[in-house]
Amino acid sequence: MASVSELYDVGWEEMRDKLRKWREDNCRNSEQIVDVGEELISEHGSKLGDDIWIIYEQVMIAALDCSRDDLALTCLQELRKQFPDSHRVKRLSGMRLEALERYDEANKHYDAILQDDPTNTAARKRKISILKAQGKSAEAIRELNEYLEHEAVSVLYQSAPCFPCDFHSYGKAAFCLEELMMTNPHNHLYCEQYAEVKYTQGGLENLELSRKYFAQALRLNNRNMRALFGLYMSASHIAASPKVGAKVKKDNMKYAAWAATQINRAYKLAGRGTKENKCSVKAVEEMLESMQITMS
Amino acid sequence: MFLLYMNLLEGVASAVYSRKKAYCKMLLHAAKYPHCAVNGLLVAEKVKEKKKDSHSAPILCVDCVPLFHGTLALAPMLEVALTLIDTWCKENRYVIAGYYQANERTKDFRPNQVAEKVAARISENFSEAAIVMVDNSRLTMSCFEPIVLIYDHHENKWKSRDVNTDCFEDWLEAQKITSALLEGRSYENLIDFDNHLDDLRNDWTNPVINKSVLDLC
Repeated sequence: MASVSELYDVGWEEMRDKLRKWREDNCRNSEQIVDVGEELISEHGSKLGDDIWIIYEQVMIAALDCSRDDLALTCLQELRKQFPDSHRVKRLSGMRLEALERYDEANKHYDAILQDDPTNTAARKRKISILKAQGKSAEAIRELNEYLEHEAVSVLYQSAPCFPCDFHSYGKAAFCLEELMMTNPHNHLYCEQYAEVKYTQGGLENLELSRKYFAQALRLNNRNMRALFGLYMSASHIAASPKVGAKVKKDNMKYAAWAATQINRAYKLAGRGTKENKCSVKAVEEMLESMQITMS
Repeated sequence: MFLLYMNLLEGVASAVYSRKKAYCKMLLHAAKYPHCAVNGLLVAEKVKEKKKDSHSAPILCVDCVPLFHGTLALAPMLEVALTLIDTWCKENRYVIAGYYQANERTKDFRPNQVAEKVAARISENFSEAAIVMVDNSRLTMSCFEPIVLIYDHHENKWKSRDVNTDCFEDWLEAQKITSALLEGRSYENLIDFDNHLDDLRNDWTNPVINKSVLDLC
């Protein structure tokens, strides 16, 4: 099998930079990380300097995702040798045990970290993840709630969007996203996710809130398609609601019409030149038209 | 291809066949996002009106449209997807006939609230809508056996039925193709609706994968 450097004609520096980009963007493309990282470590390890330790960590976690316990153990052992008393490495040991479904042993690792350092967020997060993996949703929510009440830690809030999926707790997800928006006011993704949660909760008030936050997300990033579609859907539903007055209806029809124009424009731009995408453009046009019929 | 026989006891049987690409794309979607839940729609060819008291003509499940990965429980994009895909179906004389889901946890293959809600919505237009759940724990490269569970709506509950290779027409072809695509990591090129929303040029009808399936036939 050809090496990564042969297949893609890249040098070791490009591979190292790619790994860094994936770290910064928090990508979970584990198979690629394993392919690139394993080759980088084995062929060019000596050139990496101190970068090698963070790469070992990154590759180890990706290896767990790919059931490559051999590779994970190799990376872990190197890290243990270099940082014998580190909590960070102990957490990685715990993660390996989680991957092997040895949850009791993993929990012992995390409890040991928390005894030394009760504020260690990473360990607490792992314990909650174990509960989630075991399907103990109710307990996981309890633990998370307890922790959120005592600590304003954005790292934990970031796991909030998973709330509705597993825990049917849209209210809690909304609360966490509100905190995230406060500390990251320029992040269009949090605005848009918040709007989606509000929309899902339903009811006129939530719909209006969702429309406002979709609009805000668009102000922060006018190419966010989810925000654009969301604005269209929320405004359309408000306009179609029997509970709103004539002015609100008229305003929302305006917003929806604007959004529809933008959506059509975005699709035409994307569809330029490709035959297949033309069917998407047509489908979107028809969809928007059919929804306008129900509004009026 | 797989066949779903419904209500055999009551003598009103309808068979739902699935083309190989529907089964393949479903598994490729699950393989692309091993750490997430994934879901999608199953699409069938529209048939003429059934005559009463006779066996219904078989319904051909021609394709599947992968929808989302990660958070499945948020409404707005799901509504957009359902409406858009419905429009696309009408243009191609198809109908949305079912819903598939692979849960986040390996050992969890039960349909959850999201699955039931979407299926109920689909049932409004297609009374025999089925929920297809992927059994993640049996997902392997070789795919020697069908790894789906099929749930039908009976008396207000979703009940699973037995699925074995007898229910599949040309199972060996489907197995061979799916296995080849998994080995070749074709799932890296699979586009779901989420990918489409990230970049509109990503085509959720997956022409590239469809061609690969055709080439392998």
